[in-house]
Amino acid sequence: MPTADAITTPATDSRPIRGEPIVEARGISKSFGALEVLSDIDFRLSNSEVVCVIGPSGSGKSTLLRCLAFLEPYDHGSVYIDGQLLGYEERGGMRVRARESRVDAVRAPVGMVFQHFHLWPHRTALENVTEALRLVNGLSRHHAEAEGMAMLERVGLAERAGHFPESLSGGQKQRVAIARALAMQPRVMFFDEPTSALDPELVGEVLDVMKRLAQDGMTMAIVTHEMGFAAKVADRVVFMDQGRIVESGAPETLFRHPKSDRLQQFLNTWRERHID
Amino acid sequence: MLDLALLWETRELILQGLWNTVWICFLGCLVALSLGLVLAALRLSSPRLFGYPVACYVELCRGTPLLVLLFLLYYGGPSVGLRLDAEIAGVTGIGLYGAGYFAEIYRGGFKSIPKGQLEAARMLGISHWHALSRIQVPQMLRLIVPPGTNQLIILVKESALISIISVDDLTKNATTIVNQTFHVIEPYLAVALLYWMLIELIARGGYALEKHLANREPRPVTRQGESAHAHG
Repeated sequence: MPTADAITTPATDSRPIRGEPIVEARGISKSFGALEVLSDIDFRLSNSEVVCVIGPSGSGKSTLLRCLAFLEPYDHGSVYIDGQLLGYEERGGMRVRARESRVDAVRAPVGMVFQHFHLWPHRTALENVTEALRLVNGLSRHHAEAEGMAMLERVGLAERAGHFPESLSGGQKQRVAIARALAMQPRVMFFDEPTSALDPELVGEVLDVMKRLAQDGMTMAIVTHEMGFAAKVADRVVFMDQGRIVESGAPETLFRHPKSDRLQQFLNTWRERHID
Repeated sequence: MLDLALLWETRELILQGLWNTVWICFLGCLVALSLGLVLAALRLSSPRLFGYPVACYVELCRGTPLLVLLFLLYYGGPSVGLRLDAEIAGVTGIGLYGAGYFAEIYRGGFKSIPKGQLEAARMLGISHWHALSRIQVPQMLRLIVPPGTNQLIILVKESALISIISVDDLTKNATTIVNQTFHVIEPYLAVALLYWMLIELIARGGYALEKHLANREPRPVTRQGESAHAHG
């Protein structure tokens, strides 16, 4: 497992080892009542790969990410993290829900960043980052704080360590949330619309942090509306509509030569709105 | 004119009443606060088994007068083999009655913590227990201080009803003085003032607790802070 240092130091090869998937979904479906929000999705995320998931709202892209993290249990199919089935266990030929501790263990390599940050408002920026280090990894206060400060420095917020979330800007909150996830040394980071709740002028600082993470070789799955960012940073873009993956491929082919009418239409709408 | 000498002469009865009101309210509120927490925990716990009975209890508390509950306990109790001292019936009544309200206050506190904060905790591997004790409870405590203070004040005021089941509380002793001296204004005014002081004390305590639990910022960061590089 790469350490935090290994991530901080840019890898010698900008795009290291490829191939084996860290996250793999096979034929997953999910319904909320009668509404099927995901149908028969296959998804792979390989080492150091950056995948952006785009699509209109209600297309199921956030639900996909949440199912991959098992924050929403999927109904059918399988999600594997590092080859281990997430959320369920086979017992006597039957599939049963796994215990919470088992779920935690399987998804330990996954860090998650949410649209609305979900920082704990009664804890300072530093305490938000050190909480899991202390409670889960059992680090002493001293070690956890040293580690936490290092993480805040990575997102450029060390001088804000003692501030509570309420006095941070949206962009700063999201950077603290990224530092909090990074502190647990994840091998994969999931971003669920990380800039959608931000004022336009604060989007850049968050995207910059994410771009640097990508350059450092972090494996990332990003649900986003930031097409420019997807075009520049993603290795692969996945377009979803109505609970299905309609198209997926390298950003340049996907954005320049969309195969499906639906994606063409989606891109046209987006361009019309961003023409100036 | 007000006859203040009268109050001095009857001070023992007034002080005895004050003491009884204080300790009965204190114990009653303690029961209400702790039983309310248990009820809220039962209602929010994942097997929904207790949800309905607790909800019924809450509705019953809110739907019936405290005085009726006190009558049931004190006058009705003996016919089902429950013989309570008037004071104990008072404590029990205030406790059971207040618990219904506090259960809702706690529940409201828990419910207003965004679910996403717990998802963030889950994704970091933080256990349910730690999420509860380190993330939910501290925030819940902050959220419930203002409504909780309010509820305590209401309970203390409503405790005057225990005078009707013959507890020698402030209200009853004031009435006794009125009956003995035929002075109405002085005893009741004195007692009103004492209730007010008692409640003012609770209100101030509430504000102090609110302030104590609030975020104090910015917290100085001693180490490494100044060496931080800015990032655009």
